[in-house]
Amino acid sequence: MEDVKAYIESGILELYVLGDVSPAEKQQVEEIALKYPVVKAELDAIEQSMEFYAEENAIEPPEHLRNRILGSLLTNFSDDNNFPTPTHANRDNVVPIATPKKEKINFYKYAFAACLALLIGCTIALVNVYKRLQLSDTQLSAMQAQNQHFSTTVSAKDDELNLLRDTSYKLIRLKGTAKSPNSALTVAFSPSKHKVIIDMNGSKMPVNDKAHQYQLWALVGGKPVDLGVFDATADSSGFKNMKAIAAADAFAVTLEPRGGSANPTLSEMMVLGNF
Amino acid sequence: MSKKRKISLSEEELVLSLQHREKIAVEALYDMYSASLFGVISRIISDAAIAEDVLQETFVKIWHSFSSYSTEKGRLFTWMVNIARNLAIDKIRSKDFKNQNKNQEIENNVTFIDEQRNTVYKPELMGIKDLVQTLKPEQQLIVNLVYFKGYTHVEAAEELGIPLGTIKTRLRMAIQELRKHFN
Repeated sequence: MEDVKAYIESGILELYVLGDVSPAEKQQVEEIALKYPVVKAELDAIEQSMEFYAEENAIEPPEHLRNRILGSLLTNFSDDNNFPTPTHANRDNVVPIATPKKEKINFYKYAFAACLALLIGCTIALVNVYKRLQLSDTQLSAMQAQNQHFSTTVSAKDDELNLLRDTSYKLIRLKGTAKSPNSALTVAFSPSKHKVIIDMNGSKMPVNDKAHQYQLWALVGGKPVDLGVFDATADSSGFKNMKAIAAADAFAVTLEPRGGSANPTLSEMMVLGNF
Repeated sequence: MSKKRKISLSEEELVLSLQHREKIAVEALYDMYSASLFGVISRIISDAAIAEDVLQETFVKIWHSFSSYSTEKGRLFTWMVNIARNLAIDKIRSKDFKNQNKNQEIENNVTFIDEQRNTVYKPELMGIKDLVQTLKPEQQLIVNLVYFKGYTHVEAAEELGIPLGTIKTRLRMAIQELRKHFN
């Protein structure tokens, strides 16, 4: 009972009647008033005196207002839409008023959140675009490399075709000797142009090791003349220009120590062909 | 419209007929309470036309949300005056109203201070009975700030530079005085 008395004297009931309590306090007052008739009676007395006070301070509204207001209430009197539906019947209509200041802070809060979301979105988009750009760059450089490879191949093929069309060239097929019966090499020789070209594509020379190299010889009047060295690899291709010579009776290839020798090592002769 | 033609019912009858949404209840509600509610609204909003609009909004809201009122929660008038006060405060805090009244702020403050010192007699308050004898000036000031001006007790404490506890005590004492006076 002491608690109830203290509660009454706290002044909360007055604030409740004046509409100056939070929704939580409002609910609390209503619950306590239901529980303690003393509080209920106190509330009633406060309400009554405030009602009287308001009556004492009443201002009679202009007479035309009565018709206007009653009119606005009664015009739609028969309109069923006007009657509260059960969905909002139980809703509390007294809502605490948000101060404008708080609204402003709220606005900035939302604006900030929106900016942050936008920033995150932009960053993700940027990262995605950057990844795609990198991918495109890689693809582009691969395409360029491929393109270059093609143009090189095409120009090499062009050269080969020109060579084949050139009637001054004679093709000499060097055949394998007893030492290497499966070897073969094609030499194109133009006496008028002083040019010796070997066809690496069609060569069937065994792959040489690092210490040795093949050396092409021309036999001129029974004497061997050095026409340069070459390597046979698994993927050797294209034409290779050798040293110039005006005339030759035959061509031969020997396996020599790397860099070539002054005189052919006849025991290492791989292929031979007469002009 | 003369006083004689006004409809008056007991609060229980009124609530019951409002719950049954009888036409006569609306008229009785207006006749019984419009002046008291208009008194509160007019003290929050000085512009007569806007105050009249708010009174209309108040009755519309009372009528439409009447099902949320129950006698257990307290007296009908307490519920209605809260609706009226909230609508009035909403109105003066709304953007339109602020823009409209920007230039009058200083003037209003002067009026407000004059009111507090009772140096101005406002024509719209002419019909009000003098309550100065009932309440001490400082009690009346607080009651009027909270009840008629829509201040919270926290805002009133800031406005008057008085501790919160003192505000609460004075408010309670003031209402005790009113109770003695009216009962």
